[in-house]
Amino acid sequence: MAYAFTRVNASTGYVIGWNSARRDQAGPRKKVDNSSPETVTPGRALTAPLRPVMLAVMDVSSDPTPDPRLRVNLGGLDLRNPVLTASGTCGYGPELADLLDYRRLGGFTTKSVTLEERPGNDPQRVVEVRAGLLNAIGLANVGLQRFLVEKLPFIRTMPTVVLVNVAGQRVEDYVAVAAALDEHACIAGIELNVSCPNVADGLSFGTNPVRLRQVVAAVRKELRRAKLVVKLSPNVTDIAELARAAVDGGAQILSLVNTYVGLSIDPDTWRPRLANVTGGLSGPAIKPLALYNVHRVYREVARPAGIPIIGMGGIQNAADAVEFLLAGAAAVAVGTTLFVDPTAPLKIAAGLAEYLTARGLPHVAALTGQLQLGAAENCTPTAHVPS
Amino acid sequence: MRTMIAERKREKRCVVDALVVACTRVCREHVALELSIREFPASEPGQFLELLCRATNAAEPALRAWTDDGFPSLVNSELSTQQPFLRRPFSIADRWSAADDTVRLGVISRTVGAGTRWLEGLKSGDTLSLTGPLGRGFRIPSRETPVVLIGGGVGLPPLLYLTRRLAELGHRDVTAIFGATTRDLLPLRFTGDVSCDGAPAACIEWPGTASFPTIITTDDGTLGLRGRVTDGLSAWHARRSAATRNAVVMACGPDAMLRAVARVTRERGLDCQLCIERNMGCGLGTCLSCVVRVRDAAQPAGWRWALACSEGPVFARDELLDYSA
Ligand SMILES: Cc1cc2nc3c(=O)[nH]c(=O)nc-3n(C[C@H](O)[C@H](O)[C@H](O)COP(=O)(O)OP(=O)(O)OC[C@H]3O[C@@H](n4cnc5c(N)ncnc54)[C@H](O)[C@@H]3O)c2cc1C
Ligand SMILES: Cc1cc2nc3c(=O)[nH]c(=O)nc-3n(C[C@H](O)[C@H](O)[C@H](O)COP(=O)(O)O)c2cc1C
Ligand code: FES
Repeated sequence: MAYAFTRVNASTGYVIGWNSARRDQAGPRKKVDNSSPETVTPGRALTAPLRPVMLAVMDVSSDPTPDPRLRVNLGGLDLRNPVLTASGTCGYGPELADLLDYRRLGGFTTKSVTLEERPGNDPQRVVEVRAGLLNAIGLANVGLQRFLVEKLPFIRTMPTVVLVNVAGQRVEDYVAVAAALDEHACIAGIELNVSCPNVADGLSFGTNPVRLRQVVAAVRKELRRAKLVVKLSPNVTDIAELARAAVDGGAQILSLVNTYVGLSIDPDTWRPRLANVTGGLSGPAIKPLALYNVHRVYREVARPAGIPIIGMGGIQNAADAVEFLLAGAAAVAVGTTLFVDPTAPLKIAAGLAEYLTARGLPHVAALTGQLQLGAAENCTPTAHVPS
Repeated sequence: MRTMIAERKREKRCVVDALVVACTRVCREHVALELSIREFPASEPGQFLELLCRATNAAEPALRAWTDDGFPSLVNSELSTQQPFLRRPFSIADRWSAADDTVRLGVISRTVGAGTRWLEGLKSGDTLSLTGPLGRGFRIPSRETPVVLIGGGVGLPPLLYLTRRLAELGHRDVTAIFGATTRDLLPLRFTGDVSCDGAPAACIEWPGTASFPTIITTDDGTLGLRGRVTDGLSAWHARRSAATRNAVVMACGPDAMLRAVARVTRERGLDCQLCIERNMGCGLGTCLSCVVRVRDAAQPAGWRWALACSEGPVFARDELLDYSA
């Protein structure tokens, strides 16, 4: 089996990769011999307490030197670290350029672009709920033509991997936008938003396996260069079925999850708080739901097919990112948290590096899919001291 | 071509931890925060800050020390944030340099919910994470132009910062009209007698070197002129000669007040800028929640959505579709 990313760590002799065939058996694990290259050790014990990494420690002015332990090959995309921004939470690039150092960012995903310009919904568009955010923006965006004229010049200058998120209402729309974007080398990948729950007619692609496969295949056929990411909707009975349809259609990377359909009601007025009535729930509130979906897709579809996952949903810090990696993600994306702290992806990347050091792990890919499912005594994280 | 956020030149913004120098009550439901920061980008009156209304590190789960026989565990990180998740927008109410060369920022907060209740409990020595300066402030006219500032309730803070700036720029003909529903909801410190007939008087404490005549209005007549700020504006107008009435009005307050100010200023032929409030998810121009309709002849409908956090919160009255009719 070919790995999208495989590397032998010289000092430990480990074979590491986001998709590790040695984890084919998801059942209980026996305690393993640490010296064996079969082992992906959960890490070593430290005597010093671990503290969250502060941004202040990083020198933002100097040219950043990437940490080789964080570099990941995501289905052919070479990311300096596995932390991306999520679509719709970071604009098209210029909006956060003074706050977020793109030279240190793993990757950037733009707001959805549709064929025609969309003004978006009436306000109220966003409401904060307990530990999260309910939004019904209505895919407000400048449309393909203005995107190419007004947004692309800046994207060309961005020193990070850029994915452009594409949404549509018809197969032809997706194909037209994706084909136009594929012409531009500064766009490393195209992420299909087949799941935005706010626009009634866009819903069907993300919830119907036949139509999903059809739209993914139609777009993939057009792409000469850009990698195809398919972003899955969690608003389905069986997400694995949709993931399989996306992979069958030619998805090279899967990203999940998009927002969960939700509703918030004002008990004073008996009216919905959002003008659109329903909205998409994001933020810390959805993290356990998102983790479950990532793990399910990883086990059922992504790992067997050798397709990497970008995991997202409520990630706030490095510990959250580690959870997604353990569940099966090869990279993570930060969305709603950017509204609170636009520098969060850099802090998370730094926190991941610290975590690797503390655990004595050679590479961040050694975490992907390492969720321990056996009986506790059989899979107690064992101490490993590298030679 | 229409003005896009990306095309507009913008001062660099920053995310910093500020030191709380003081948190003092100014009136019922209002506290004034004095914040100290080593460095802060240039700012203008009308711009705002996004304050994190919870402990700065609340999102960082505390990590327990590692032990010899096991691994450290996170103190249940699911429970680490019970406070408002998003930041909250607050106008810059003042800015000056302290003797120790640090930047001092003033914020006046009215307690209306979870976030503002948390702010109310801050103590001197605490830290507060803030993002700013955000948005676009008031466009200040030439020194000769008469200026009328109209503030309603929690709309006063940006105007206080504006008076400091106007004084620094040498403006002399400035009148403030500050109102609230009742006396103890005015976040002001009174130093002199307030007239109740709408005559501007020196009656409040000003930031910096500012000292401008002020008309106070309250809906219930508990202080100053009984009535609304628009009644104060009429009183001001009546006292002016035709030659000295040609003022620029700068207003901030609740939406209903801003609509009334828009109507009255249009009727009287006065130029007017409005500092509006919208529901803001980020203040950074990325969540697209803070939309307001602005006129745009290039659009088939004659208007488009603008982001109040980036193109505003200060707009010229006539740019705004919903404050004109
Ligand atoms: C540009 C801007 C500048 C502002 N400047 C100031 C200021 O200088 N001083 C000040 O006290 N307040 C100011 N506000 C309003 C302030 O942001 C809100 O009062 C605050 O977000 C409420 O947070 P909370 O968690 O306490 O209340 P929540 O629990 O979020 O809400 C409680 C109540 O407050 C209302 N509310 C929440 N957010 C807003 C909002 N953005 N505008 C109006 N009502 C709101 C809600 O509808 C609800 O009824 C400003 C708002 C904007 C957009
Ligand atoms: C305000 C807002 C706008 C969003 N817009 C888009 C979008 O245009 N396209 C898309 O694919 N996802 C969009 N998303 C979904 C996010 O990319 C992400 O999948 C989701 O919010 C979960 O991650 P989070 O909890 O970290 O935010 C949006 C989310 C939010 C909160
Ligand atoms: S508040 Fe988020 S875009 Fe304006």
